[in-house]
Amino acid sequence: MKILVVEDSSSMRAYLTTIIESGSESYELEIIEAASGFEALKTLPHHKFDAILTDINMPDINGLELVSFLKNHPVYRNIPIMVISTESTEEDRRRAAALGAEEYLVKPFQAGDLVEKLRRLLRVA
Amino acid sequence: MAREDDRAREEFTSEAEELLDTLSRDLADFESQGANVRPELVNKIFREVHSLKGLAGMLGFTEISELSHSLEDMLDRLRMGRVAISKDLVDLLYDSVDSLNRLVIAINDPSLSGLVDMTGLTRRIHQIVTNQPQQKHGDAFSELTLDEQTRKSLTEYEEHRLLENVRAGKHILSLEVTFDFSDFDERLRTITANLSEAGEVISTLPAIPTGNINGIAFRLLYGSTLDVDAVAVLAPEANVSSLRKTAPATPTPAPVTPAPEVEEEMSLRSLSQTVRVDIAKLDHVMNIVGELIIEKTQLEALTRAIAMQQARMASHELGKISRNLDRKLNELQKSVIEIRMVPVGQIYSKLSRTVRKVARELNKEIELILRGEDTELDKMMVEELTDPLMHIIRNALDHGIEPADERKAAGKNPVGRVTLTAYQQGNSVVLDVTDDGRGINPEKIRRVAVERGLIGEKDTVDLARAYELMFTPGFSTAAAVSEISGRGVGLDVVKKNIQDLKGSIDVITHLGEGTTFRVSLPITLAIIQALIVEAGGDKFAIPLTSVEESLRIYSRDIRTVERREVFTLRDFTLPLLRLADAFGLEDHHDHGPDTKWFVVVTRAGEKTIGILVNALVRQQEVVIKSIGERLKTIPGIAGATEIGESEIVLVVDVGSLIDHFGGRAREVRAAVLS
Repeated sequence: MKILVVEDSSSMRAYLTTIIESGSESYELEIIEAASGFEALKTLPHHKFDAILTDINMPDINGLELVSFLKNHPVYRNIPIMVISTESTEEDRRRAAALGAEEYLVKPFQAGDLVEKLRRLLRVA
Repeated sequence: MAREDDRAREEFTSEAEELLDTLSRDLADFESQGANVRPELVNKIFREVHSLKGLAGMLGFTEISELSHSLEDMLDRLRMGRVAISKDLVDLLYDSVDSLNRLVIAINDPSLSGLVDMTGLTRRIHQIVTNQPQQKHGDAFSELTLDEQTRKSLTEYEEHRLLENVRAGKHILSLEVTFDFSDFDERLRTITANLSEAGEVISTLPAIPTGNINGIAFRLLYGSTLDVDAVAVLAPEANVSSLRKTAPATPTPAPVTPAPEVEEEMSLRSLSQTVRVDIAKLDHVMNIVGELIIEKTQLEALTRAIAMQQARMASHELGKISRNLDRKLNELQKSVIEIRMVPVGQIYSKLSRTVRKVARELNKEIELILRGEDTELDKMMVEELTDPLMHIIRNALDHGIEPADERKAAGKNPVGRVTLTAYQQGNSVVLDVTDDGRGINPEKIRRVAVERGLIGEKDTVDLARAYELMFTPGFSTAAAVSEISGRGVGLDVVKKNIQDLKGSIDVITHLGEGTTFRVSLPITLAIIQALIVEAGGDKFAIPLTSVEESLRIYSRDIRTVERREVFTLRDFTLPLLRLADAFGLEDHHDHGPDTKWFVVVTRAGEKTIGILVNALVRQQEVVIKSIGERLKTIPGIAGATEIGESEIVLVVDVGSLIDHFGGRAREVRAAVLS
């Protein structure tokens, strides 16, 4: 399984990666990190991702714009996406769903919730 | 998990500190832009607080997370135009960032917790948020032809900015560009930077390009006073179209010239190439380099020894090895020193916070101007510099800048101005703290010094003497030691701190016009170029940063003026110091008027002295090692170093030598006369 984590905060990225790794005993895992929407776009042609986790509030292009692009792209539209953002952007959460993001996780979250939602996203037991 | 928690905490602290630093800088910009603040900047500040909140929330730092949450809420309203910019709001933002900083520090030092008035801050935020009339959101979308997909991809904020641009009567344009996957980010950043000069890039939406499978398309929503044709000139690679159903009524000014592209790109690149390195690791590398240099020095010594015994071939080979080693070492040293360099701008934000706070406490209006924030200095030095600089600035605010009515009476702007300028000068970095206050009055200094018992009733004080007195322990010009510049320390401590960094401090004043405190520091401390000299039968190392020039003279050139040996260097009377005398060594070098000497002209700050030595040995790199507590009190010694063949020599501290034996200033004299 190959996962793309898009998040501009380096310590948050490290935290997300740690949780995802600790919850992945049952499957092979490779995590690619991107620190911005642009970086995410740049990595796309070089990997075949099984899931993408993205923050909303980021410099250059934001998470919603990334979701919109992916969900309309002939090659990438089937990659399941989880948007991870804070409760203060409730409206943006609704928009993410409208654009086709499969999962939404609100920060701060419990490690277990992330692991659980990711399993659902990847369809692994 | 405990170790993971520690790691997470460490990473959080470091990222939070960085965020707060950026935030402070942005706040300073925010304040200076006033009511016309750029929406991009407000949004950036919002995003920074938002990130901080997210981080703190995840790691369970409740206070940080709660405070940043309230702030984020307020900033969200601000960027959505539901809260107006006011002085209260700016003050509150500064105070909040200050408190957040304290909370972050308290994570690693719990004894500091409880210093933040959370209730007070929350109340102030609440006041600002609730005092504002709720603005209704009209539907300005009806004026645009905007497809559903684009509209759905806008965040709430972007939607707000779009509507604001519509309301302001701006042209609303769509720019479509297609780039290669390999370099789209750079090209897009260039376009965005150009466009931002003349308007606002509201949204950047990636799209699937038609007919170019290896590329990526973007649709930019752009609000500007420029119309379609003007923007098409500004961004020739874009397909530009208007989204307004009817053209806006406002007149369109001529296109502005965008900033040079190269500069924009460079500054963006440097942003993404920042690496965070643990300073302890760097110290370690630095130590290895230091030891390598000692090895190299020994190799050189060996080469010299062999050369003398005519072992030519071996000597030649060794010399080659030594030169190669030297080249590699230089490279290594240079790159390590570069890693250690950070822009002094890192402490500017802390300084501007203090200035605001102190100005408020003193009830003075102060404008702080910060220049040269990109000037680089050793990380450790930057850290050590914060307190002394803070003290000098406090001093300027407290004693330099007059109260507003006094300034008005003198025909000055009632708002006092303090300028901090950093710049590089040769191997030194200079920091000038300049105020436009009342200047230093030697008579006032004299009275205080008499009062403090530092000088006698009848002693006269000229400007040069006044400077000396100001830096003397036990001196303070305030009637009572005020809380502001007092803090239990005087300028003497500032001077000592700066000298510990092998730097110097000078004062330049003009009565009624203002004062400059000039701090000069070597760029780095660990490894220095030194001139090895011989005096009284011993060798010494003089740091090259202090050396202006060296020349050969004869005993007959040395004159005595007022019981002091001097030498006429061009048009300047240079005071001399026999290095052997300074350290109490017996010197049998002088054999009459034809004896050869070398004068090493050294300088610390504005003062100059000629150090008289028997011989110049060579120039080489030295690693300064501390010589321990017991010898620390001897003036004129900075440390010791090994210069090969296990030969240990003392490194001369020119600053304290001049302090102790007296040098002479060229510039101060000019300042006194003018």
